[in-house]
Amino acid sequence: METLEKLKEILSECKGEDLDITPETTFDELDFDSLDKVDIVMQIEEAYDISLGDNMQLSTVGELVAKIDEAVANK
Amino acid sequence: MQTKLTKLLGIEHPIIQGGMAWIADASLASAVSNAGGLGIISAMNADADWVRNEIKKCRTLTDKPFGVNIMLMSPHVEEVAKMVAEEKVPVVTTGAGNPSRFVKAWKEAGIVIIPVVASTALAKMVERAGVDAVIAEGGESGGHVGDLTTMALVPQVVDAVKIPVIAAGGIGDGRGVVAAFALGACGVQMGTRFLVADECTVSEEYKKKVLAAKDISTMVTGRRLGHPVRAIKNAYMNNYAKLEADSNVPDETLEQFGVGSLRKAAKEGNADEGCFLAGQIAGMVSKRQSAKEIVGEVMAQADKMMEGVQWDV
Repeated sequence: METLEKLKEILSECKGEDLDITPETTFDELDFDSLDKVDIVMQIEEAYDISLGDNMQLSTVGELVAKIDEAVANK
Repeated sequence: MQTKLTKLLGIEHPIIQGGMAWIADASLASAVSNAGGLGIISAMNADADWVRNEIKKCRTLTDKPFGVNIMLMSPHVEEVAKMVAEEKVPVVTTGAGNPSRFVKAWKEAGIVIIPVVASTALAKMVERAGVDAVIAEGGESGGHVGDLTTMALVPQVVDAVKIPVIAAGGIGDGRGVVAAFALGACGVQMGTRFLVADECTVSEEYKKKVLAAKDISTMVTGRRLGHPVRAIKNAYMNNYAKLEADSNVPDETLEQFGVGSLRKAAKEGNADEGCFLAGQIAGMVSKRQSAKEIVGEVMAQADKMMEGVQWDV
C-alpha cells in the first residue's frame, strides 16, 4: 500500500495533476509519453535505490508496484 | 579548436554531423570527417549488410574517425548493433530511445557511445549505463523532435550529468557553436547545414527546398501518434496536418499516409509527396559549399567570437 501511495505521488507529479490511481489503473489510460516514462523510472529508481531494468512491459499500476516491491526485497 | 569532444573523439573541430536517415551515407560522412569534424552514417531502418557496406565504403574514403547513428526503433536494430561491434566502428550515436542494453558489447569493441537525448532523465539513465557523452537535441532540429528547446535543454542536461554534452538543434553557424559553449556544451551536432553540402547525395529538389527555406518554413506534424517530426512545409505536410486534426481519421490511416514519404523526398525529390525533414535554421542555409568549407566557415566564425574568451570547454 505504501508503494502505491509513493507511486501515486510520482505519477501525479509527472502528469501535473492529482491522479486517482488504483492497482487496476492501466498505463494506457494514464497516457504517458516515452520521455515521461523514462522520467518515472528514474524517479522510482532514485527513490528506492533499485534498478528496474531497461525493458519494462507493464500494463497496470499494480504490476509496477509488485515489480518495485520485488526489487526492494532483493536489494 | 580543442574541446572535451575533440579530445574524446580524436578529431580537429567539435562538430558532429547529424545522422539523417536516407541522407547521411558514406559520401557525406567521409567528407565531414575529412573536414575535421565527425561524419555519421545513418543506419536508419536498413539491415546490417547495407550499413556494413556503407562503413566499408567510408573507410575507403577517409582514414579519420567516423560514426554510425543507430535508430533504436529500427526493425534491424539487433543485427546492426552486433555488426557495428564486429566492424569496430569508432563512434556510435543512437536515437529514439535508451541504448543501455548494447553498451557492454559496444564498449568491449572500443566504441565511443553518444546517445541523443531529449530530457535530463534519459541523459542520467544512459550516463549510468556507461556511455561516453550525450547529444542534447532541442526541438529546433529537423526530423524527430522533443518539446524542449536547445536553449532550455542543454544547460539542464549539463547540470544533470558529469559526461560531456554536445548541443544539437538550431545550430547552423559559428554563433550557434559559441552559444552552445555558453550553455555548457563542448561541441555541436549539425544536420540541416550539411544537407546542401556538395558531397551530400540527397535529391536536388531537397537541396533547393532547404536553400529556399526561410525562418518560418518548417512545421511539426505527428504529435497525435507520439512521434512529432519537423519538416519543410509542402503539400505532404499540410495534408498530414489536416488528417491529423480530423478526429474521424483513424491513426492507422495517418501511419499509412506517412509511409515512404522520407524516401520520396531524399531519393526521388518528389516535391508534393515527400517529407523534407529540416531544422528551423534552414532559413540560414543559403549557399552550396563543400563539407570542408562548411566546417571551416563555422569554426572560423566561432574562433573569431571566442578570441580573448576563456571558457572551459
